[in-house]
Amino acid sequence: MRAAVLEVQKMRRLRVAPVCAVMVAAVTALTCAGLMSDSARAGFGDPAAQPWETLLLSYVLVSAMTSPLLVAVLASRQVDVEHQGRGWMLSQVAGLSPGRLCRAKAAVLGAVLAALVAVQTSLVVAAGLAAGITVPLQAGIWVRYAVCLFLVDLALLCLHIWLAARVDNQLVGMGIGLLGSFCGVFSLLMPPALARALPWGYYAVVSPVAMGEDALRVITPGYGWLAVFLLVVAALFGAACHRFDRTEG
Amino acid sequence: MDIITTRGLTKAYGSRTVVDSLDLRVPQGCVYGFLGPNGSGKSTTMKMLLSLVRPTRGEISVFGRPMNRETRPGLLREIGSLIEAPPGYAHLTGRENMAIVQRMLGLGDRQIADAVAVVRLQEHMDKLVRAYSLGMKQRLGIAMALAREPRLLVLDEPTNGLDPAGIEEIRELLVSLAGEGITVMVSSHLLDEIDKMASVLGILGRGRLIFQGTRTELFHRSLPDLLVDTPEPERALALGIPAVRADRGIRLSGFDDRDTARLVRQLVEHDVPVHGVRRVQQSLEEVFMDLTGREGLL
Repeated sequence: MRAAVLEVQKMRRLRVAPVCAVMVAAVTALTCAGLMSDSARAGFGDPAAQPWETLLLSYVLVSAMTSPLLVAVLASRQVDVEHQGRGWMLSQVAGLSPGRLCRAKAAVLGAVLAALVAVQTSLVVAAGLAAGITVPLQAGIWVRYAVCLFLVDLALLCLHIWLAARVDNQLVGMGIGLLGSFCGVFSLLMPPALARALPWGYYAVVSPVAMGEDALRVITPGYGWLAVFLLVVAALFGAACHRFDRTEG
Repeated sequence: MDIITTRGLTKAYGSRTVVDSLDLRVPQGCVYGFLGPNGSGKSTTMKMLLSLVRPTRGEISVFGRPMNRETRPGLLREIGSLIEAPPGYAHLTGRENMAIVQRMLGLGDRQIADAVAVVRLQEHMDKLVRAYSLGMKQRLGIAMALAREPRLLVLDEPTNGLDPAGIEEIRELLVSLAGEGITVMVSSHLLDEIDKMASVLGILGRGRLIFQGTRTELFHRSLPDLLVDTPEPERALALGIPAVRADRGIRLSGFDDRDTARLVRQLVEHDVPVHGVRRVQQSLEEVFMDLTGREGLL
């Protein structure tokens, strides 16, 4: 708890809130851009036009594109301060090991991501309602997707924290985040087996909608695969933190 | 009482031994100057003392207790340290940095205020650390180390990169801390700096402890050159004496008292006039250079 509070203190002036606000605004705007077209508006009251499913697919696509970058930015900013300020050493001589510091960073940034995903999802749904979609909303699908999106973000956050702690040059993490954005988007078009092999492919694995032959289909996301992915990342992150604790200063 | 003792302290990375069988003894309440050329193993030794690096061999005892993974948290609560470079989150103010240290160590407001006052940084606490000069960063680092009211301060090159005024300021601060009963172990490759503040010296060369003791003991151990005043240095040199010509005679190195007596007898036997024999006054730097094998001290 102490380490987590310290991370909140260190967040000051890192502009985490503005970065998140910009990202939420961008995701909401990009997702909801399709709501403005006349063709879309014509189907707002017609269940066959699938207005909510269309909006959700747009949200999945935009999230897959933006989340890897956001996660990379948050992780690199929060970890870079330790490299720049010799915070690893300062914490070590105060009894806070580097691994514990990384776990605290994951916990605090994870909370930020949870809030961000909740706000972002709510805004997208609110925008749909405000635009005039009158077809009943299946809230369960949206909630389950938001939870899965958060879990994938959290897993990638852990990997980026590990990377940022390992490599002083934060451009490496940012570059990988950018690469992840491309992979995230294209994973929606990849064969499922290939998507499951990539960390960013899980943005596609958790998608609750898919393109059918002539309409969108509501599908069951790959919860089992997501669970395996989360377990693997948790094990890797746990091992990495343990290793950090044993690294000599 | 010794605050720090090590026995056979050794650190090797593969086949490269960077610290070799150190037997340190740091007495309580002194400024212990840990001196050595760059790369001689000072930082590694200090990291081992703080348990940041695991020794390959040997034992460390701090405050009479062994330093190991189990005792480390308790011991570190009483040790302030600054290793290699001063810590400080550049995007935060000095005050915010101290608040982090306060929470990290569970300290009270008074302890933080006192530490800041000792390093005279009160006026700059609301500035961002990225706007601090190097001297201010060093002082902030020392304040962070002092905040826990340590019995022992371990400072690795705390005056690195400072201008002469900054060096003088840190030096006065450390001497005054020792005066208050805090044991200060300070490393440097700057002999002059250590000479002015340390009451006990430990000299490291190529990972080995070459000397440990007071300044006086150091001078006793060294063997200053011998200067023989003679108006006929050529005749003296013709006798095969291992000497070089000097201003008013010849100069010899490595001659102890017995060698000196033998030399004088030899010169007199060969009718070489000897007007005087004296030791050349050595500076501490010369003594140090002799001990470290002239490894390029600044």
